Amino acid sequence: MKPYDPQYVNTVTKYVFVDSPDTTPQDIAIAAYEIAKGVMIKETCFGCQITGSPEDVDRIIAPLRKLDPYRIYVKDRGFPPGDARRCRANSGGARPGYLGHEYEMALVRYIAYGLEQTDHMTPEELKAAAGQEKLMQSAFDVAVLEHLIEEE
Amino acid sequence: MAKVFIYPATSLILSDLVARFGHQPLGSAISIREHIQTSGFDSPPIQMTSEDPQKGLKWAAVEVPSGIRGRLSLYGPLVEEAEAAIIIDEPDLAFGCMGCERTNELLCFMLREKDIPRLELNYPTSREEGVTFVAAIKEFLVDLGGEYE
Amino acid sequence: MSELPVNIAQITCGAEYSGIQNEIAMAAETVGGQMFYPDVALKDVKRAYKDFGLLVKSPDLKLAIARAHAVVEGRIEADGIFIASCFRCAEAAIVRTELRRYIVENSRIPVVSYSFNERTGSSTLLTRLEALTTIARRRNLMARRVQVGITMGVDSGSSTTKCIIMQDNEIIGTGWRPTTEVIKSTDEVVALALEESGLKLSDIEAIGTTGYGRFLIGKHMNADLVQEELTVNSKGAVYLANAQKGFATVIDIGGMDNKAISVNDGIPSSFTMGGICAGASGRFLEMTAKRLDVDITELGALSMKSEGGEDVPMNSYCIVFGTQSLVNALAAGYKREDVAAAACHSVAQQVYEQQLQEVEIKEPVIMVGGSSLIQGLVRAMGRMLNTEVVVPHHSQYIGATGGALLGSGFIDKKKEE
Repeated sequence: MKPYDPQYVNTVTKYVFVDSPDTTPQDIAIAAYEIAKGVMIKETCFGCQITGSPEDVDRIIAPLRKLDPYRIYVKDRGFPPGDARRCRANSGGARPGYLGHEYEMALVRYIAYGLEQTDHMTPEELKAAAGQEKLMQSAFDVAVLEHLIEEE
Repeated sequence: MAKVFIYPATSLILSDLVARFGHQPLGSAISIREHIQTSGFDSPPIQMTSEDPQKGLKWAAVEVPSGIRGRLSLYGPLVEEAEAAIIIDEPDLAFGCMGCERTNELLCFMLREKDIPRLELNYPTSREEGVTFVAAIKEFLVDLGGEYE
Repeated sequence: MSELPVNIAQITCGAEYSGIQNEIAMAAETVGGQMFYPDVALKDVKRAYKDFGLLVKSPDLKLAIARAHAVVEGRIEADGIFIASCFRCAEAAIVRTELRRYIVENSRIPVVSYSFNERTGSSTLLTRLEALTTIARRRNLMARRVQVGITMGVDSGSSTTKCIIMQDNEIIGTGWRPTTEVIKSTDEVVALALEESGLKLSDIEAIGTTGYGRFLIGKHMNADLVQEELTVNSKGAVYLANAQKGFATVIDIGGMDNKAISVNDGIPSSFTMGGICAGASGRFLEMTAKRLDVDITELGALSMKSEGGEDVPMNSYCIVFGTQSLVNALAAGYKREDVAAAACHSVAQQVYEQQLQEVEIKEPVIMVGGSSLIQGLVRAMGRMLNTEVVVPHHSQYIGATGGALLGSGFIDKKKEE
C-alpha cells in the first residue's frame, strides 16, 4: 500500500449555497474573492467553497451571509475543493452527497420563508410557532424504554 | 456553544441552522475531514481502511455488515461527543454516509438512548411547515444557550 | 496497457465504508479495467426506484437501482457491471440478486456479483474482475467453438495440475498430477500429455494457461493465452458438454473455491466465485476420504452405495466441525457409505446456498472439475436443483480443455507474424 500524505491539514472547507432570486452563485463568489486575502475560494454552480483556517473561513462567511441572510446556507465539507478522489470527472458519477444536496436544495425555499418569518418573533411567538413540532420530542419515550430494558 | 449532532449527518439545512443559531454542528463532514487530513496508507476516496469497520466493533457486533461498522466508526465518536441532537425523521434520500438504513436506525437509537436534549421533526413540505420547522429548531437551539447574529 | 480500459460500472453499497473501495479500484486497474459510478441525478433515482418496484429503505440501494437502470437503459455506457454489497446484509442481498437478474434479462452486459467484508482484498477481486474484462474485451476470442491445429492447455489449480493436447477438435493427450511445486507439476503433466499424444513440445502451435498458477506457468511455457479460470472453464464446459448455443449453468467445485457461471451462447453472462468456507469445497471431500480411509477417486463409488446420507447429522459450515460431525456419525454407528454421501450432500447444499443464489440456474446444469467425478456429489447437486446434472467427458480437464480450445485462436495470429 502506498503511504498517504494529506494536504490542507488543519484547514476546514465549507460550502456556501445560495438559492435566491436576488443573489446568484457568482455574486457570492465575487464577494468572497474580494475579502479572501489569500484564502482559497472555489466558485461552483451553487455558490462557492472556502478553504482555510477555521478563523479565516468564519471571517469570510459572516459577511457573505449578510448578502442574503435567509437564502444563503453553509455546511462543512470533509474534502478540500476539487479533490480528485471526489471529482465527477474521475469517478464517472456525482459523489453521493451531491444527490443529498439536490434533495435538500429543493426544500430550502421553505427554510428561507421560515427564517424570514421567525427572525423578529418574540420568544413567546417562537414557542407558539414551534409548538406543533415540539410535540415530536416525546414521540419516543426513552424513559419508558430504559425501564423496560432494566426489567429484562 | 453546544455540540449538536445533526441527523441526517450530511444535512445542509441542519448544519446551517445549527451554526446560524450559535452552535457547532456534528455531522459526517467532521469525521470524513479527520480521515482526509490524517496521514497513513493511501485508501481513496475517503481514506477509510479495513481498520475502520474494526473500530466500529465498539458499537456493533462482528456479524453486523462491514459497511455499517465502518459508518459507525465515523459516527460513534461524534455521538459520544454530542451535547444535543436534532433528528429529522425518515430522511429517505440522503446518500453516501447516510446511505444505509440499518446504520441510520442504530445511529438514531444511540442518539435517543443518550441523555441529551433532543429535537425530532420532519422535513417541511410547505412554507407554513417551514416556519414551524425553523421555529422549533431555533427555539431548541436558543434553549441550549447559543448566541447568534 | 495499450488497449483502452474496460469500463466497469460499479453498483455497490457499503464499499467505501468497508474500507475496500481502493481494493476494488486497484484490482480493476490490474486487469485493464476502470471502475466508474454511473452518473444519475436525484430525479433518476426517484424514477428508477419507482419503476423497479422493489421497496427498500437504504438510500444507497435506491441509488444502486438507479445506476443499474441507467446502464441497462443504455443512457450510460458500460462494458461490464460489478455489483456488490456487504456480506450479511439481507436488504442489500435482495437488491443485489434482483439487480443481477434484471441486468442479465435486459442487457448483454456481463455482470459479476459479490458480497464483501472489510477483509476483502484486491487479490480476491482480481480473478472476478479479470473474467469480467475478458468477457467484455475478448468476445471474439470467447466466440470460438471449434479447436483447430495442435494446441495445449494447462490448468494449474490449487489442488491439481492438468494438461490437455488437442488436434483438429479432438483430445489426443492428457496429463494430471497433484499440484506440489507449480512449475514441477506443470512439467510433469505436460510430459504425460505429450507422451500420450506422441508429440513433441515443438509440435504444439499454441498454448493456453489458466488456474491459480497461470501467470507463473504462462511465463514458464511462453504461453499465448494466460487467462483466469472463470471464462476458460465455462468455455471448456459448454464445449465438452456440447452446449455452446443457448443457456447453460456451469458448476465447478474446486479445491479452494467454487465457481458458478451462467452461460449464454458460450459466453458467461453472470458468475460468482466463492470460498468463504472450506466446508463447501473439494478439500472437505478429500478430508472425508482420508477419514474414511478410501482414495478420493473411490469416494464417489462409496457414496453411491448410500441412499443419500441426508439423515446423517451434519454441522457443516466449517471444515473442522464438518469433519467432527462425520467422526461423530461414524461413532454413532452410521455406515461409511452414508457418511460419504452425507459429506457430498453437505458440500452440494452449501454450494447451493452460497453460490447458486448469485447466478441464474438454467438447464443444462454442467458440473466440471475433479469433484465432478465424485458421483455422490453430482447426485446430491442434481437432487438439490431437481435436474439431471450433465458431467461431460474429460470433465476434470475442463480448464485445460478450455485453454487448448481458446489457444487455437492464436495460431493464425502467429502465422501472420
